[in-house]
Amino acid sequence: MSAIRVMVVDDSPFSRTLLAEALTQGGCEVVGEAESIETLIQVYDECKPDLVTMDIAMPGADGFECTKTLRLHDPAAKVILVSSMKDEETEADARHAGAVGYVQKPVEEDVLLRVIQNVMSPDKMFGNLDAWSCDIFAEVLAQNITRMTKSTAKITEQADLRKNISQGITVVIGIIGRYPGSIVFDLTQEAAEKMAEIMLRRPAKSPAEVVSVAAEFANVVGGVACSMLNRKEKSFGLRVAPPSVFQGATNEIISPMLHMHGVEADTDFGRLSLSFGFKKGTVLWM
Amino acid sequence: MDVNRINPILDAVGGTLPQLGFQSVTKKSVALGGSVLKWAGVMINIGMLGSIKGSIAIGMSTAGACRFASTMMMGMEVKELDELSQSAISEMANMVCANACTRFSQDGIEGVDISPPVLFVGEGGKVTLPVPKVISVAFMVDDIQVDIHIGLHE
Repeated sequence: MSAIRVMVVDDSPFSRTLLAEALTQGGCEVVGEAESIETLIQVYDECKPDLVTMDIAMPGADGFECTKTLRLHDPAAKVILVSSMKDEETEADARHAGAVGYVQKPVEEDVLLRVIQNVMSPDKMFGNLDAWSCDIFAEVLAQNITRMTKSTAKITEQADLRKNISQGITVVIGIIGRYPGSIVFDLTQEAAEKMAEIMLRRPAKSPAEVVSVAAEFANVVGGVACSMLNRKEKSFGLRVAPPSVFQGATNEIISPMLHMHGVEADTDFGRLSLSFGFKKGTVLWM
Repeated sequence: MDVNRINPILDAVGGTLPQLGFQSVTKKSVALGGSVLKWAGVMINIGMLGSIKGSIAIGMSTAGACRFASTMMMGMEVKELDELSQSAISEMANMVCANACTRFSQDGIEGVDISPPVLFVGEGGKVTLPVPKVISVAFMVDDIQVDIHIGLHE
C-alpha cells in the first residue's frame, strides 16, 4: 500500500518539523506545509494530500476557520485538528468545523498514527449499512404497501438520487444514529389522495388528512426499515426524527451530504418513490 | 414547547453566522403560527431528535441564497444556486443546528442530535412541520432575510 500523503498546517516551524518527523517515522509522506490561511488553499491544491493536520492556535484565521475554508473549497477534505487544548467545547467546535479527528499536543506518534489509520481505513460497517439499506428499504416498502393499502406493487431500484424532483407531496424524515441520514418519500397529490382513501376507507376530509396519511406511511416504512437495520447491527443505533411534509410539484430535492439510493413502487394508485441515504460519520477523537 | 427553549437556537444563529463572514445578524420578528408554512425559493429541513424533537426549517429566497453562498465563499460570484452553493448553505444549516445542540446541552438538555440537511429549491409551496405550533423567527443577515422555523416539542 502506498504511503498516506499528509499536509501539515501550523504557524510554528518547530511544530511543523516535529509533526513531519512523527509522520515520516510512521510511514506517512509529508507532501506539503502551510503556515496560515493565506497559502492553505494553494498548497492544498498543489499537493492534493490524503489528509491535513491543522493547528488550532494560529495568528489571523485559526484552525477552525481554516478547516471551514478548506472544507468549503473541497468538501471531501479530511482534517485532523491538533491542539494543546483538550476540553469539550474545543472538541465540539472542532466537530462542527468539520474536522474528522482531534489530537492533543504534544503529539504522541502512536496516537497520531492511530487516528490517521482510523480516518483512512475504509469503514466496513458503513459499507454494510449502505448495502443492506437498499434491500431492506425495498422489502419494507413492498410489505407496507401490501399491509396498509391491500394492494401489490412492482418495486424497482433507482440509481443515484442526489437530485430529485418532487411529484407533489414529499415526506422528509431525518435519521439519527451512528450514521445519520435522511429518508425522502415522494408521490403525486392524486396518489396521496387515493392512498389516503384506501387506508382510511373513506375519502380524506381535508388536505391536512392527506398529508398526515402520507407522513404516517413514510414514518412506518422508515421506522421499520431502521429497526431491521439495527437488528442486523446493534451499534447502528438508528432512530427516526418526526416527519416534515413538503407540498408543491417541480421543486428540486437535494441531499448534499448524502449518497442517496432510491426505490420506486408502481402501485394501483400511482408511483411511490422512496429515497434514503446515510452520512459516513468519520468523526474520531483521541 | 417552552418559548425559552428557542433561545439556544437563536443564539446559535447569532453565534455561527458571523464566523461565516457575515457582518450583521439582526432579529427582525418572531411569530407563533400553525404547523403549515408557505415557502418559496430555498427551504432546508433538518430533523432533531432527543429530549427535544421535531424539525428546524430554514428558508430564504433564491437570490438571497445566492448572495448568502457568495459571502460564505469569500465573495465568489454566485449567479445561480449550483451544487457548490447548495453545499455551502447546507453546511450553514448544519452548523447552526449542531451549534444549537451544543447550546442545548449547556442548558442541561442533553443528547439532542440532528440529521443531515435536505434542501428544497424551486417555486415552493407549503411545508407541514411535525408540531401543532411553529415559532418563526425572521433574521436579517447583512441584507438577506433568513427565516428560521422552529417545529420542536419536548
